[in-house]
Amino acid sequence: MIEILQWTTLIACGAAALSRIPNLVRKKNRSLFYVLALMTLAILLSIQGPYLVIDGLLGSTNLANLLLRFIIFGAIYFLGIRIANGFGDERGLRLIQGHAGLAILAVISVALLVLFAFMDTEGSSAGMMAVYARDERNKVLTEYYGAAGRAYPAYVCLALLPAMLRAVRSTLPAPLRISALLLAIGGIAVILSLYFQAIPPALGYLTYVINYTAILCFVFGLALIWLAKVRAGRNTMDRTGRSAARS
Amino acid sequence: MPLPAKAFQRWLHGIAPDTSTADVCRLSGVKRTTLAQQLVRGKVAEATVVSISRAFGANPVRSLAYFEIYHGLADQSILPTPQELVSQISTVDLLRAVIARSGTGTAPHTSEAPQAGLLALGPAAHATSVKNWVDAIDDGELRHRVSAAAGIAPQNYSAQLTANRMAPEVAIATSRAAGVGLTGGLVATGLVTEAEAGWEPGARQAALDMMPDGELAVLAGDRLQAMGKTLRRQEQDQEQTDMILENLG
Repeated sequence: MIEILQWTTLIACGAAALSRIPNLVRKKNRSLFYVLALMTLAILLSIQGPYLVIDGLLGSTNLANLLLRFIIFGAIYFLGIRIANGFGDERGLRLIQGHAGLAILAVISVALLVLFAFMDTEGSSAGMMAVYARDERNKVLTEYYGAAGRAYPAYVCLALLPAMLRAVRSTLPAPLRISALLLAIGGIAVILSLYFQAIPPALGYLTYVINYTAILCFVFGLALIWLAKVRAGRNTMDRTGRSAARS
Repeated sequence: MPLPAKAFQRWLHGIAPDTSTADVCRLSGVKRTTLAQQLVRGKVAEATVVSISRAFGANPVRSLAYFEIYHGLADQSILPTPQELVSQISTVDLLRAVIARSGTGTAPHTSEAPQAGLLALGPAAHATSVKNWVDAIDDGELRHRVSAAAGIAPQNYSAQLTANRMAPEVAIATSRAAGVGLTGGLVATGLVTEAEAGWEPGARQAALDMMPDGELAVLAGDRLQAMGKTLRRQEQDQEQTDMILENLG
C-alpha cells in the first residue's frame, strides 16, 4: 500500500513538473518548475529502491538523506515565497524571507549538519531506519535529526496557513478557493508532521499517509491554478483573436 | 419548498389533460431529464410549473396558487407598494431618471423626455432586484422575522440577498412577514413577470414619476454607492486572481 502511495505521488509530482516545461522555456515562473522538480527528486529519494541506488553512488553513508532534507528545504522555501506573493500575504512573505525566517532556516540547517555528523551513518537505508535501530545514542540523534528536518517545512506552512484559510473563505473564483483549500490541507499535514514522535510505532504508516497527503495536496493545488491559468490564457487569446478579426 | 409530485401530476392533468410528458417538455422547454428527476424525487421546482403554465397559456401565479403552500397567491387584492415598484427599477434606470429630471428645463424636446424614460425602463428583475426589494419593504426587523418564520439562518438569508437569489417559499415568507402583496418577491427573483403578477403596465414608471426629487436623489445615491462597493470588490477579486495566476500559474 505504502509503495503504491509513494509511486503515485512520484508520478503525479513528475507530471506536474513536466507540465511546467513550456513555461520554463518561455521563462515564466521558472521557480515553480524547479520547485516541482525538486519535490519529484525528494519523493524519489524517499523511496527505498531509488534511495539505495543514489546513496550507493554517494558512498553509502546516507548522505542522500541529508541531501533530501536540503532539497525539501529549498523546495518549500521557494514555494512558500511564490504562494505568499500570489496570495498577497505580506506577513507570510516577511516570515519566510525576512531576517527571522532566514535565521530559523540557518539554525535548523546547522542543527541538521551537526546531528548528521555525530551519527554513525554507515550503511544505506531509506529514512535512516538502520541507523535508528543501531543503538540508543544513534536512536536519539536520528529522532532529533528527523524533527529538525520537519521543523522548517512546518514553520513555512504555519506562516502561510492564515492567508490560505482567508482565501478559502473569500469571494475568489471557485477553482482558486479549492486550490487554496488544498494548499491549506497540505500545510496542516506538514504541521502535523511535527508530532510524528508522538505516533506509536504500530501506527507508523500514518507518517507516510500524512507526508504524501501533504505533497499530493500541494501538487493538485498548484495544478488547479495552472489549469485556471491555461483557461484564462485561452479566453484572452479568444478575445484578442476576435477583436483582431473585427478590426 | 418545492411542490409535491402527486399534486403536480394532478395539476398537470388539469391543465394539459391529453398531452404526453414528452410534448409537455417540448412545448415548455423543460428538459425531460430534469422533469423526470424532479418527479422521481417527489419534489417539482416552482420554475417547472411556471414554464409549463406559460406554454399552455395559463397564468403562472394562478398555477402556483393551485398548490397548498401557495394558496395565498390566488388573492391578488393587495397591490404592490410604490417602494416595491421603484425597487424593481434598475440602478441605471434610476440614475437616468435623475438626469432626465435635472435636464428638463434645458432639453430641447421636453415633451418627449418622459416618453423616452417610459420606454427605457428595463425588466423588473434586475441585477440587484432581490436585495432592493427586501430593502424596500424592510421596517428594520424584517430579516429577523423572516429567518425565524422560514427557519433560515440570518447569514444565509443575507447571502441569498447579496447573490440576488431567493427561494420562492422564502420570497413568500418575506412578503407575509412584511405584510405586503405575496407576488412581489416572485417578481423580484424573476420567477414571474410583473404582468403575470397582476401589476399594472407602467406601474413602475408611475411610481417613479410620483417620487419627489429629493427622495429619488437619495435612493439613487444609495444604489450607486452599493454598486460602487460591489464593483470594487469584484475588481479586488480580479486583481487577486491575476496575482495568483501570475505567480503560481
